Amino acid sequence: MATSTDRLSAYRKQFVSLSTETWLGWGLLLPAALLMGVIILYPILDGILTSFQARSFLRPEIREFVLLANYRALVRDGVFWTALWNSAVLTGVSVALQFLLGLGLALLLKQQVPGIAVFRSITMVTWVLPVIVIVIVFNWLVQPGYGLVNLILAELGLPTDYWFSNRTWAMPLIVLMHVWKNAPFFAIALFAAMQSIPNELYEAAKMDGASAVQQFRYITLPNISYVAMIMIVLHVLYTFNNFDFVWLSTGGGPLRTTEVLPTYVYKQAFQQYALGYAASIGVVMLIIMMTFTVVYVKLEDFD
Amino acid sequence: MVRTLVTGFEARLDDGMTVRRAAFVYATLVLYYGFLLIPIFWLVRSSIVTDEMLRARELDLLPLAHLTAENYARVLGNGTFRSYFLNSTLIAIATTLLTLGVGIPAAYSVSRFDYPGRDYVVLGLISSQMLPLVLVLIPFFTVMFRMNLVDTRMGLVFAHAVGVLPFVVWLLKGYFDAIPEALDEAAKMDGCGHLQIMYRILVPLSLPGIAVAGFYAFVGSWNDYLFVSILSQSTDTRTLPLGLQLFQTAQQVDWGAVTAAAVVTAVPVVVLFALVRQWLVEGMSNTGGKGF
Repeated sequence: MATSTDRLSAYRKQFVSLSTETWLGWGLLLPAALLMGVIILYPILDGILTSFQARSFLRPEIREFVLLANYRALVRDGVFWTALWNSAVLTGVSVALQFLLGLGLALLLKQQVPGIAVFRSITMVTWVLPVIVIVIVFNWLVQPGYGLVNLILAELGLPTDYWFSNRTWAMPLIVLMHVWKNAPFFAIALFAAMQSIPNELYEAAKMDGASAVQQFRYITLPNISYVAMIMIVLHVLYTFNNFDFVWLSTGGGPLRTTEVLPTYVYKQAFQQYALGYAASIGVVMLIIMMTFTVVYVKLEDFD
Repeated sequence: MVRTLVTGFEARLDDGMTVRRAAFVYATLVLYYGFLLIPIFWLVRSSIVTDEMLRARELDLLPLAHLTAENYARVLGNGTFRSYFLNSTLIAIATTLLTLGVGIPAAYSVSRFDYPGRDYVVLGLISSQMLPLVLVLIPFFTVMFRMNLVDTRMGLVFAHAVGVLPFVVWLLKGYFDAIPEALDEAAKMDGCGHLQIMYRILVPLSLPGIAVAGFYAFVGSWNDYLFVSILSQSTDTRTLPLGLQLFQTAQQVDWGAVTAAAVVTAVPVVVLFALVRQWLVEGMSNTGGKGF
């Protein structure tokens, strides 16, 4: 009898402690969860719902279900396909260049030459700049007549132009701005990963007569691949989602050569007031980004 | 002379580093940092030269005879620009405080407590970083409109706080996880409650992490253009990224003022960055370079 009471009270204690843990855990989370719920979760669900509706910003309270009409229109919309293609190119090329240039710089920063600390410490300064400032800098550099780039091109006897309004060069310029901002960040993250590789590995490899290339291939690369993958996935998402660079530099022009999905959604919603249609483009973005998120979460679990 | 210089330099190099290799490293570094720093140099240079020099069609890297502070005087003398600066500052500080205020307890919760649903919360935090912001923006605007928060600083603070919150919680969780739970237990023995453990043990021990998280929140708010462009409709709430449009019209751009205003916009975040840089890199190696 006594033992069963003891056991009961032990269970009770366990239950009480478990439930206080649960309550406190949730309680501490509550403010953050509320904020996220109101400002992220609800809007995203409502956004998905809106994509099945005909809805205008002029009378947003009128919501008429049209099922898949928005999506059907989307498939036939040439601009949508252009924007999707441009988004893919911008993201793919930017992230590939960021990774390669970042890896190169990380290998440089690893070199033990006098004064290298100064270079290390100023590396990330482009990364912290507001996008608007970056756009202004590049816009100013390519101004017709007196922009630095055109001054140099003229000096070399090459053609000059306002390159952001050039159909061939507008997109490469936007890629360049992304790379200029983010490659140093790749460099520092990869450099940090390289620093945590034990030196003994390299010493043992040298003993075995491994060349510098072999050391890179069989020691450095495998040891930074985890950080590299995470950086790549995150920047794919960041670049694919980015609105500011394109909007502030070219607005999607000239002739839609730089139109990307975020700018197209923005224009449909806030300039054409076609909320339902804009939302359906947003949902396509969501699906693409979720695919990458799944990859990211899988990578996280891997650790 | 050159020979002694070279041998002197050689003596300072580590084993395995030859002068030739060092020369190659320096040459590549100069190229690379030219790519990174020339645009910044040109921005600053343009902001401190006279208008006449700005439009000169010749290359003069630093025309000492034509330096002027006039551009900055015009920018800082502009009342509207000053109020944009004030808005940016207030909104970014409030965003930082709100984010840390709700983010620290949330990170404590997901780091130290074990309860049903916790894993989903963590998963939700990670994946909410990856939503298309323009899709969020549409219903978000109507929510803000219903709550009378359009064109208020508070509306922008909410928008910015939520934008950075998932990453901040994630970052802080990493720092809290690294603190041994034995410390919590010891504090519990001494009669500390959960909240006391949080702000007497975890917070002081992870101050570098909190500084980095705060920096991230501040910069996220300071640099935002998308939400401000939609939610802000008057001078009372507009921030610096929009303030840079003050000095350009469709016909003409006052490049001296625009470049000066861009420098003024960049300086606060660059200064903050310099303050937390060391911890930022440390945190990056702790968290495997996640985020940002």
